[in-house]
Amino acid sequence: MTTQTETVRPAPSLAQTWRRMQEASGDQVSKLRLCMVVSILSAVVQGLAFACFYPLLDAVLAAPADWHRAFFWLGVLAGCAVLDTFFIWQARNFDYAGPIAEVTHQLRVSLGRQLRRMPLEKLYRRRAGELSAVLAGNVDEVVTPMGMLSSTFLGIIVTPVVAMIATAFVDWRLALSMACLFPITLPLYYWRRRAAGRSFRNLAVAHARTSAELVEYAQGLPVLRATNQVGSRAVRLQGALEDLRDAQKREQLYLVWPGILFSSAVQIGLLVVLSLGVWFIIAGSLNVAALVALLVVVVRFSEPLSLLFGISPVFDYMEAGLERVERLLSVPPLPVADTAKTPDNFEVRFENVSFRYADTNEDVLQDVSFCLPERSLTALVGPSGSGKTTVTRLIMRYADPRGGRITIGGVDVRDMSPKRLMRHISVVFQDVYLFDDSILANIRMGRPDASDSEVEAAARAAHCHEFISRLPEGYRTRVGDIGGCLSCGERQRISIARAILKDAPIVILDEPTAALDTESEVAVQKAIDTLVRDRTVIVIAHRLSTIAGADTILVIEDGAVAQSGSHAELLEREGRYRSMWEAQQGAKNWHFSSATD
Amino acid sequence: MDSQASCTCAGSAPQDSPRPVSEQKRGIWELMRPVNFGIRSAMVMSGVGAIASLAGIAALALVIMALLGDGSRLWLWMLLAAGLTLAGIFLRIYAFTISHLSAFRLEIILRTGLSEHLARIPLGHLLVNGAGSIAKVMQDDVKNLHAFVADTTPLIGRSVATPVVTLALLLLIDWRLALVALAVLVAGAVCVWLAMRNHGDMQRRYDEEKERINSVVVEFVQAMPVVRTFDDGADSFGRYQAALDSFKAVMVKWLRVSGTSGKIGISMLAPLPTLTALTAAGLVLLRGGLLDFPNWAAILLLGTGMAESLAPLMWLNFFIRKANASALRIQELMAIPAMPEAETGMVPMDASVEFDGVSFAYEGREDALQDVSFRVPSGTVTALVGPSGAGKTTAARMIPRFWDVRRGCIRVGGVNIRDMRYEQLMQSVSFVFQDTFLFHDTIAANIRMGRPDASMEEVEAAARAAQAHEFILELPDGYETMAGERGARLSGGQRQRITIARAILQNSPVAVLDEATAFADPENEALIITALANLMKGRTVIIIAHRLSTIRDADQIVVMDNGQVAESGKHDELVTANGVYARLWRSHEQARDWTLGDRSPDQAQEEKR
Repeated sequence: MTTQTETVRPAPSLAQTWRRMQEASGDQVSKLRLCMVVSILSAVVQGLAFACFYPLLDAVLAAPADWHRAFFWLGVLAGCAVLDTFFIWQARNFDYAGPIAEVTHQLRVSLGRQLRRMPLEKLYRRRAGELSAVLAGNVDEVVTPMGMLSSTFLGIIVTPVVAMIATAFVDWRLALSMACLFPITLPLYYWRRRAAGRSFRNLAVAHARTSAELVEYAQGLPVLRATNQVGSRAVRLQGALEDLRDAQKREQLYLVWPGILFSSAVQIGLLVVLSLGVWFIIAGSLNVAALVALLVVVVRFSEPLSLLFGISPVFDYMEAGLERVERLLSVPPLPVADTAKTPDNFEVRFENVSFRYADTNEDVLQDVSFCLPERSLTALVGPSGSGKTTVTRLIMRYADPRGGRITIGGVDVRDMSPKRLMRHISVVFQDVYLFDDSILANIRMGRPDASDSEVEAAARAAHCHEFISRLPEGYRTRVGDIGGCLSCGERQRISIARAILKDAPIVILDEPTAALDTESEVAVQKAIDTLVRDRTVIVIAHRLSTIAGADTILVIEDGAVAQSGSHAELLEREGRYRSMWEAQQGAKNWHFSSATD
Repeated sequence: MDSQASCTCAGSAPQDSPRPVSEQKRGIWELMRPVNFGIRSAMVMSGVGAIASLAGIAALALVIMALLGDGSRLWLWMLLAAGLTLAGIFLRIYAFTISHLSAFRLEIILRTGLSEHLARIPLGHLLVNGAGSIAKVMQDDVKNLHAFVADTTPLIGRSVATPVVTLALLLLIDWRLALVALAVLVAGAVCVWLAMRNHGDMQRRYDEEKERINSVVVEFVQAMPVVRTFDDGADSFGRYQAALDSFKAVMVKWLRVSGTSGKIGISMLAPLPTLTALTAAGLVLLRGGLLDFPNWAAILLLGTGMAESLAPLMWLNFFIRKANASALRIQELMAIPAMPEAETGMVPMDASVEFDGVSFAYEGREDALQDVSFRVPSGTVTALVGPSGAGKTTAARMIPRFWDVRRGCIRVGGVNIRDMRYEQLMQSVSFVFQDTFLFHDTIAANIRMGRPDASMEEVEAAARAAQAHEFILELPDGYETMAGERGARLSGGQRQRITIARAILQNSPVAVLDEATAFADPENEALIITALANLMKGRTVIIIAHRLSTIRDADQIVVMDNGQVAESGKHDELVTANGVYARLWRSHEQARDWTLGDRSPDQAQEEKR
């Protein structure tokens, strides 16, 4: 999703890139600036060094040759060379003396910190792969070439300008002809990049289509194989691939001219300067020494410019990386009121809550109000997509509602710091994430200061102790070492142990047994029974019999509370709950073979 | 967020470590083979272009000579300089055009090749690696090669030709000054080499730390949504930060150690040192009358080219590394061995299925199936049951050859499935697994995937049998509504019914079903069960059952435990036998009666005591 939108953006201006670089370099920004200043100085010195050739060659070609003057200017040239080396040395300290490592480090730390505080809604919307690419790859792409690339870039701009000014002292006409040629290269460079940006946009469409077809192809292979529509016979895939190539060829044409003009500007310029120079010499208004010096200077610019052409993809990578880093860092955290309050009880209340997900224009929840008394058990039921999960997410302040408010013990969740809020809530998901660390550490996540025996007690309560003790190193066994050996039910029980250890007054269960087989289910059920004792519990469950004992059942339909009441009350009434219950009872007593008769 | 460690069917799949690609066949150069001719031409063109440009510069010296002399042939030399320069430009354009066209062609060749290879490898690999990540290799990694193949290869030709030709020209013009230019370069190179010695160890540590950073980042990111609900990530942030700290330490050290050599290299490759040396030596020679001015001018024009053309090589490394990482991922995928194709296309004789002493192990693991034997006669229903990890899903997946058996054989209609053409097998057996996949195409086309030549009436009949007809008609464009990820929002249960319709239409004599564990909602559940029942009519059925109540009347129940067949028989027999099945049955009944928040029966008993 995001990868498609970002290719649509136009190429950023130099100033924008520079601003982003400064932001990315954090407290090393002064060193980055120093690197830039020194790079400019180095470029100036280079330009001056080139200018030395005017008097130097003039002295050599004088009749008779003025060797004294020639060696004087050689001395100046050598001085410039030494100074230049010094400046380059200084500039490269940015890369070699540590700042680069520091910038890399700080950028990763602040990105990591951002992941901890950005709204969960924004976090969930990003794919894990995309985020890791920013934290790992993009950071390198941004930082590694930062100093070196900017120096190269500055050199290419500054040196010709200085040389041009120096030329103006010798012959203003030649300086003018240079002035016409070299500044042109920069707009050309941008022309090329803009053209590239445009074609990126057109190509992005073709790429998106290929990408979608490829995903479909890979996912649909079992079906495609059965009908032998694979490889070059996969019509749709082949069509997308050919479209992409056609788009690429077409776009390539648009890029040819700016590219040619840009990379050939210096060479064509050289020919123009040569022709003009020869003309002036024949007319008697220029001496040969000045022309030779000019050629020596102009030839110097050809190599760096074509280098720029070659390394512009590095620049593109850097800019794309900078943009992604900036975009991630710019997500604002949910605001917390200054008056951090602490609830004194754990009643959960929704008051006229309306909510819609970012970038959608349909409310997922509409004016939802209910109250979950402290230590009550409430079940959310309803068709998939009705908004059950959204309700639980809002309690965790996944995002803020558009209207209404959610309170815990009378305190708006927006008035609590995220840390404090999370301290009150335990969640058990259908998917369990275990770290590649010891089982002990994985459980202790629930409460980092828990002692070993407290961890063990939680594990016992979650019916984990027995199977953990059977593991090769017991609680010290690393999850990664046994990997797949833990069954889903065992992993789920570890996560419940975590929640038991955390001992939060509010417990949210999101279909915790949906993915389990029967035997694991029984064990997990026992663990859950321990977890939910004496707490405010909100559970999403598919099997209605599971939640028949709930104090309140909220039937959520199309983002609103359609029905509420106890199991018995709801069964008495005509309505969604009863039809769901009946359908499920029917399915339960249903046997496959009886239908095949 | 990608779902991590999803606990459903894939949970039991092994994590195959990537197969090492044999050493000599690695990397980007090997992958570029199909377009070798284009790439080589581009490199040669670009090299020749560079030579022409250099010769054009050398011709400037002739112009200067003519200007200093009597002016004879001035225009000829100017034309020569202009001609060579323009030739250089055109050759470069030509080279870039060729390399780009080759790159585009390479993309198609690689993607088609990969898609064909995917169709030949066992389906299990798709399961292990995930269709998404495989598609990513085919899309992004192939795309990543582009910058290298299209833009960088001409640069290589140029970077190689320039120093060599420059040196040759310099030697031709004046060997003494040529040696001066070379001396500066060599001095720089020696300094770099001296400072770079023995860095292998440091480089290795750096690479290790870098590798660690990458895995820590992935863990940190993946865990974040879950971790945030615990401690706003403080704990895992600590782990992340610790890895960052040690990376920084290694990086700083490495930069320090390699700093001197790097800085010397950069300073020496800058144009001024060479230019100064050439000016100084030239002045001395000129004053001694040992050098002509035009020759000196030519040397000044060309002399720094050698050192400068080496600078892009430092950047080339950046591209090569980036492209190589992608190339290796592509090659890893290509290195998965294809499934052996049957030479004889045998055809099944009836609709029976037989496992005969089947053993199988995922790579580097213990046996997942050990000597599994059972027979499903034509037209009967067999249920596979057992605790999770018992091997029932693995066994079912062996039938469509997600993996091939290690020992024993599987027969469909009396024929070893490995002796059948793969399409034959896929036509004889239909599979309904939990992952309901719809193509981004119309609903009708999606159902028709089961039998491409089916008429619209047949498609509709299949949809009716799959309890899908009604909701399809309610969609905006009925059967012509687009489905799939980018299409209409269908619920999980609706998608499932469409895939069942597909299987019904396929009308194969054998059906292998995975009874879904979690249905979307109770009403859908009832419909899906009816749909499945219709699919089972008149077929040989193997069903992986998660809820025992549904398969109570199966003709045969095969109970698996630890990869083996523990027992088999009918429901009543197995309950009486008091074995694994009886245990499962009891826990099934217990789980079914569980009510959250209530005291479970055994707790109540504990209380009584």
